[in-house]
Amino acid sequence: MRADGLFGQAVDRIGGEPISSRMARKAPIRHLDPSLLLVTLVLSVFGAVMVFSATASKQEEAGLDPGLFLKRQIAYAVGGAIALLVFSLFDYRHLKSLSVVLYGGTVATLGLVLTGLGEVVGGARRWIDFGFFQIQPSEFAKVAVIVAVAAFLAERKGDIGGKDILATLGIVALPAVLIFLEPDLGTMMVFVALTAVLLMLGGARLRHFLILGAVGIVVVIGAVKMGVIRDYQIERVTAFMDPNPDPQSEGYNLTQSKIAIASGGLRGKGLQADNTQTTLDFVPEQQTDFIFTAVGEQVGFLGCSFLLGLFAFLIWRALRIAMMSRDLFGTLIAGGIAAYWAFQVFVNVGMTMGIMPITGIPLPFISFGGSAMLTNFVAVALLLNIHMRRFL
Amino acid sequence: MFSARDLMSSSGPEQPPIDRLKLRLAVLGVLVVAVFVALFSRLWYLQVLAADEFEQLAKENRVRTVYSEPARGRILDRNGFVLVDNRHSTTVTVDRQIVETPVKKAAIFKRLSRLLKVPVQELNERLNDVNVSPYKPVALAYDVPLGVVSWIEGNPENFEGVEIDTRPVRFYPQGQWAAQILGYVGEITDTMLEEDYFRKARPIYRPGDIVGRTGLERTYDKQLRGKPAISRLVVNSSNKVVDSTEVQEAEPGADLITHLDIRIQKAAEQALAAGIAANKAANYTPTDAAALVLDPNTGGVVAMASYPTFDPALLADGFQTKDDKILGGATPNYEPDDATKNRTITAANSPGSVFKVPVAIAALSLGVSDIGELIDCPNIRYFGADQQPFRNWTSTNYGLIDYARSLEISCDTFYYELGWRMEDRWGAGNGDGSERFQKALRRIGFDDPTGIDLPNEAGGVIPDQKWLNDYCAAVDGPAGCTDWFPGYSVNMSIGQFSLTVTPMQMALNYAAVINGGKMLDPSVASYFGRPRHELTTIEEELPSVAPLASVSPTTSPAPSPSPSGELSPTPIPTPLSSPTPTPSPSGFSTDLSGSEARASLDDEKVISRIKPKVVGRLPVGSEVLEELKQGLEDVVTGNDGTAVSAFAGFPLDRIPIAGKTGTAEIGETGKTRAWFISYAPADDPQYVIAVYMNEAGHGGESAAPIAREIYEAIFGIDSATGDVSLGQDESG
Repeated sequence: MRADGLFGQAVDRIGGEPISSRMARKAPIRHLDPSLLLVTLVLSVFGAVMVFSATASKQEEAGLDPGLFLKRQIAYAVGGAIALLVFSLFDYRHLKSLSVVLYGGTVATLGLVLTGLGEVVGGARRWIDFGFFQIQPSEFAKVAVIVAVAAFLAERKGDIGGKDILATLGIVALPAVLIFLEPDLGTMMVFVALTAVLLMLGGARLRHFLILGAVGIVVVIGAVKMGVIRDYQIERVTAFMDPNPDPQSEGYNLTQSKIAIASGGLRGKGLQADNTQTTLDFVPEQQTDFIFTAVGEQVGFLGCSFLLGLFAFLIWRALRIAMMSRDLFGTLIAGGIAAYWAFQVFVNVGMTMGIMPITGIPLPFISFGGSAMLTNFVAVALLLNIHMRRFL
Repeated sequence: MFSARDLMSSSGPEQPPIDRLKLRLAVLGVLVVAVFVALFSRLWYLQVLAADEFEQLAKENRVRTVYSEPARGRILDRNGFVLVDNRHSTTVTVDRQIVETPVKKAAIFKRLSRLLKVPVQELNERLNDVNVSPYKPVALAYDVPLGVVSWIEGNPENFEGVEIDTRPVRFYPQGQWAAQILGYVGEITDTMLEEDYFRKARPIYRPGDIVGRTGLERTYDKQLRGKPAISRLVVNSSNKVVDSTEVQEAEPGADLITHLDIRIQKAAEQALAAGIAANKAANYTPTDAAALVLDPNTGGVVAMASYPTFDPALLADGFQTKDDKILGGATPNYEPDDATKNRTITAANSPGSVFKVPVAIAALSLGVSDIGELIDCPNIRYFGADQQPFRNWTSTNYGLIDYARSLEISCDTFYYELGWRMEDRWGAGNGDGSERFQKALRRIGFDDPTGIDLPNEAGGVIPDQKWLNDYCAAVDGPAGCTDWFPGYSVNMSIGQFSLTVTPMQMALNYAAVINGGKMLDPSVASYFGRPRHELTTIEEELPSVAPLASVSPTTSPAPSPSPSGELSPTPIPTPLSSPTPTPSPSGFSTDLSGSEARASLDDEKVISRIKPKVVGRLPVGSEVLEELKQGLEDVVTGNDGTAVSAFAGFPLDRIPIAGKTGTAEIGETGKTRAWFISYAPADDPQYVIAVYMNEAGHGGESAAPIAREIYEAIFGIDSATGDVSLGQDESG
């Protein structure tokens, strides 16, 4: 008997009918992964609480609505839930052909960002302002690229050569370069990581990776030498290694961030506790990229462990779905999503604790932000979709 | 769009190698596990292993400790006249951090220089004063006129880093008197911080604290400074205060009530100045002088006049560089010019004949003579194997005289004989080397500071063999040392040779003679008090801790409740010429201005007293003291007294004066130093007055008239002019 999943044919012990065909008679909703939904819900609530606790006192002090960020984060989550519904209703395999549209649309919006439409914040052009809300197309691009590359590689059916790899790189490079020009080095790094994982799952050989690695090193050195990567970007990336950071530089944020997390200790100081790094506003950008500092200080090692446990569970579910998928397309999407979350959690949490460079990568479901929230819910929807339709 | 085959392609011949995909997913899984292992270990390190260390950093982030200096205690005289008070001065300050770019600084300083009418050079000196704390904005000018204030505040863009502040400064309601006694304040220096007095004090002294630099301000700094209020502030990232707790309440400094009498102090300083003028007019070249008024019964210092002097108000701003110019006198590093010296305790000089009293006491206590003995007073005596001659100051041969007479006519040969007897038995030259003459002098208070509560007191010198060895070694090297000549002891017996004493030591010695033999520990301070109304104010203010709106790393001193401000609306008028409101002594003929700053001492709650201490007794009987007093009275009233002319016309019948003149030769210069140690009233002594003047005439000529002038002020004797007119005295 073959194990189920990974495209295998399990046979029903009783009737001799393949299990898949028996299961396929049931509605997809009967094969829902409820634990994935539950962990998504818990993460979103956890995130909303953290966003609230990281912003309430500062808002109040500024004479603004202390619940403003909370309300908006809830609205984003509701929007995400709707997107989740939409993206789980139709069979994910339709995305194979839709991926071209998805990909094209993403590249087009990324191009729009770089035009005058893009909103400049802090020297970078990353957002498009629609009045009521802003969108950050680079967030959507992450899932769009996963789907597009998965569609392309699934066609190769696990047997890929140099040309396929070059084609894959071409698919990723277009949005990645646009994002690099914003500039957003951090998000671009997500694409590098995703491409590597998708190529690995898609059948690339070890020698491919060795060549890619060598080329990558040359490209990076060349980019630094030619000034394509700017000094401040290098400084940002290497700041976490500086033991005595200049108070005015990136290193200051990092110091304050580490102090916030570490001073939380085992149990944390409690939500909105008085006279903390969080309530005294010592950590900049705390509700977005540095949200983990609010977690660390307020709920301590126990709370952080709980959160990291939720992420581990989420990623495990994604990997499991990759394993259970009925086709390579589903496996690639699920594996890509697992890699996407793992990379973002690692870089974001690692950055706040001083073991990774400071980049503008949000913590999935926790960091304040609509585009990322929507993207993460779509990712969950795709996983549910693959899981539900693993027998069809 | 989708073919059926696409959707059903779960199985087929193109199936990728299943095991390979499984392996690849496993690799991804391992990577994910590695990621979480890394995150958990780092989290464990930060939040469990290093949590305490980082919590400390978090505390440093948010907690600021702020010290607010309380009002410094006042210094009052014995009648409640306020000698030193506090007032608030409008200052222009500059933050050193902000004016760091040279171009900007130059521009700002140029503007300030024009506005404040202070040269840029001097502003720079003030900014760079190393004695000013680096943590505080530096004051560039005090008592800035309102126009300047509004100009600076109206044009902040031109005065970046410049602030208008009010700072407490010391204030001298009575004027410039008693400068050396009171001393002045300034920021504590690094050297001072290392001195035991400051280092061991609690609460601790911190750089930037305002402390007494000299005088009473220095001696009693701990009591005068009070306790600062200490607040712990919690600030947020923009340095805004979000929470504050008062860890220690402010306690204003205690008021110091002294034995000083500002009216006598003023009279003494004026008499001294007049004496200097009179001596200059007589073609003397006086360099320095002092007059000390002491209560012989308690050792309390009533007045200390020192010449040259300065106005302490000029130092209230604490600009060290400027202070150095004022204090350095006309000739920097030239000792006689140094105006900060309180010469009643720091000037050790050879005393001449005023030292005959302690020599008599030493000789009588050692038994080389007794009080009933008559000793010959020829015009010359010869001592030793080589029959060295020692002359009296006059050629008159007085024959056998008693002790009283020896003082009246200041007979040198009488005392040569006493000195010789002691040298002959115990001296290092002729005697057994036990040097009991010197030991006896030390026993009655010489060769050692008296321990008065003022800094920098000198001890004087009673020369002996050891001193001579050290002296020779210092001057000529070890080879230059000589043996003790018996003549040294003979000369010491009339207060000559290298013997030096301070006016304070002399005054205390005479005080012991007239108070029945009690050797007293002198003090300026009488007791520490606190105004009762202030006590109640403090209690009322306790519950309300004013929340601070914002804070810089250090704060300027909090506005202190000004005791003077509360007192001044109801000044106690004190017409000094009328005897009614003032306790004894009454009837000042001199007019004292600034008399409105007077507190009622009844209002002062006593915190602690500085009790008069008797540190010893003169080793002679009362018959000796009576005989010596008789002699001292005869100096002024006897037929041949050396101070008779100085007190001509003085109502001695009403206020009998007694004293001793002294005229010391200053080295080989031919110039003399005039001394006069005296007391009054002779029948019931209330005051001892010690006067010396360097490079003047004889004691009765140059020093005694100054004492007379002071007595006239004390006892309300209407002197004709208020000027000092020199007396006639040719004694040694």
